[in-house]
Amino acid sequence: MDLKRRRKIQGQIALMLSTLAALSGLFWLVFIIFDVLRHGITALNLDLFLEDPAPPGVPGGGLRNAFVGHFLITSVATIIGVPIGVLGGTFIAEYARGTKFARLVSVLSDIMVSVPSIVVGTFIYAILVKPFGHFSGWAGATALAFIMIPVVLRTTEDMLKLVPWTLREAAFALGASYFHVIKDVVYRAAATGILTGIILAIARVSGETAPLLFTSFNNSYFTLDMSEPMASLTVTIFNYAMGPYEDWHEKAWAAAFIITVGILIITLITRSIIQWRYKN
Amino acid sequence: MVNGKTDEKVKIDVKDFSFYYAKSDKPALKNINMPVYENRITALIGPSGCGKTTLLRSFNRMHDLYPGNRYEGQILMDGKNILSDDIDLIDLRSRVGMVFQKPTPFPMSIFDNVAYGLKLRGIKNRSELEGRVEKALKQAALWDEVKDRLKDSASGLSGGQQQRLVIARALAVEPEVLLFDEPTSALDPISTSKIEELVVSLKESVTIIIVTHNMQQAARVSDYTAFMYLGELIEFNKTDIIFTSPQKKLTEDYITGRFG
Repeated sequence: MDLKRRRKIQGQIALMLSTLAALSGLFWLVFIIFDVLRHGITALNLDLFLEDPAPPGVPGGGLRNAFVGHFLITSVATIIGVPIGVLGGTFIAEYARGTKFARLVSVLSDIMVSVPSIVVGTFIYAILVKPFGHFSGWAGATALAFIMIPVVLRTTEDMLKLVPWTLREAAFALGASYFHVIKDVVYRAAATGILTGIILAIARVSGETAPLLFTSFNNSYFTLDMSEPMASLTVTIFNYAMGPYEDWHEKAWAAAFIITVGILIITLITRSIIQWRYKN
Repeated sequence: MVNGKTDEKVKIDVKDFSFYYAKSDKPALKNINMPVYENRITALIGPSGCGKTTLLRSFNRMHDLYPGNRYEGQILMDGKNILSDDIDLIDLRSRVGMVFQKPTPFPMSIFDNVAYGLKLRGIKNRSELEGRVEKALKQAALWDEVKDRLKDSASGLSGGQQQRLVIARALAVEPEVLLFDEPTSALDPISTSKIEELVVSLKESVTIIIVTHNMQQAARVSDYTAFMYLGELIEFNKTDIIFTSPQKKLTEDYITGRFG
């Protein structure tokens, strides 16, 4: 009887502690999002998207350059990073399956995932900024692609490994080549997982600041030329939030709001894809 | 090894065949000799680990997917050794189809599953595809159940339906030989009897080799039975002879359930 009561109390303590931990985590999360929304929404206006920054101290202007720059850099990073990541993951999960080389690539990717992104930024600075003598959008996109590749590669590898072997054997038994087995059967079976990995990788790099500081840097003017320094939302937030003008702070809030909502939407899309998949 | 004369036509002739798995000096199959007759059902029986699945997977060279596996001897199909290096595996596997233990529908629609092997062979014409898919599904006794939902995902079918779908998929490319690896071990009794009926009906058009753990099944469906034990072929004969008057003591012990 005494033992029973003790167990009950132990259970309640454990429940209480874990509930508290969950609530405190949730509190700060909600607090941050709410704060960004509260400050961001008031700073939102159409000019933000349509106008370029006004000179310091002059009211008005927007962040068109940063929106477009951010979109370009992230898109190019995705175009570089996703194919390399997916094909690399395919190579180590399929063609090089079980080899030492595959394990090495897998472990190195895990290490690369946890490398601080600023290290990637300085690395790209050394190979793509210093030799050319100036910052560029290309360098920024490459830095983000470097961050994406190991994430996409490992997700692809894991998702392909989840596809049962008998499914591949069944396709081989029909006379399919390995290329067809992968393209028609394995990719299809793993599509949701790989797609989720890709979207989450995009969401991850679209919030990066450090690697862009060393690579695409910033640009107060609108440009579509990726070989020039390029503004991005995250670097703009960094600069404006540190700046002395009230007007800049407001714009930084607005940019933070847009980025938060953007990543939120991307995450929600991913979740709905997963849910849709499991329903079918 | 068969007693008496037979006027059956030999489709596959296994000659002094041994098989070694990678990194193993001990053969998994030792010096197997047996015929497989055309348009007949040959059952491979024996206790777990006797090598019956290993033998089955040699007929379409499934073992080639894993490096290091070795074949010795010959497996002649229509007189040509399918173990020789110049055999095109893609071609061999379109002549020798295979159905696995667990249903393996591809993550695509019912129609696309059956059409897959045809598309691999470059058949793109829509009406030809439709005709051959319908024919294969009818052969596999699945047409009536799925004809109104060919575009639905194959994963929505029941286990027994999926297995018949996989059989239809294998039949669509009109193979000469069909290999069954315990095709009913994952199915309920009703689905099992449907698959058995289907297998028997198929021997008009293809030569069938079936691995089974279930001796009653071997007795019900097969014309010839090979009993294997520890990688060796102990006895091969007409099924009724194997089950009524086996020549070897080991065979008798196995089919009477004294071990296994």
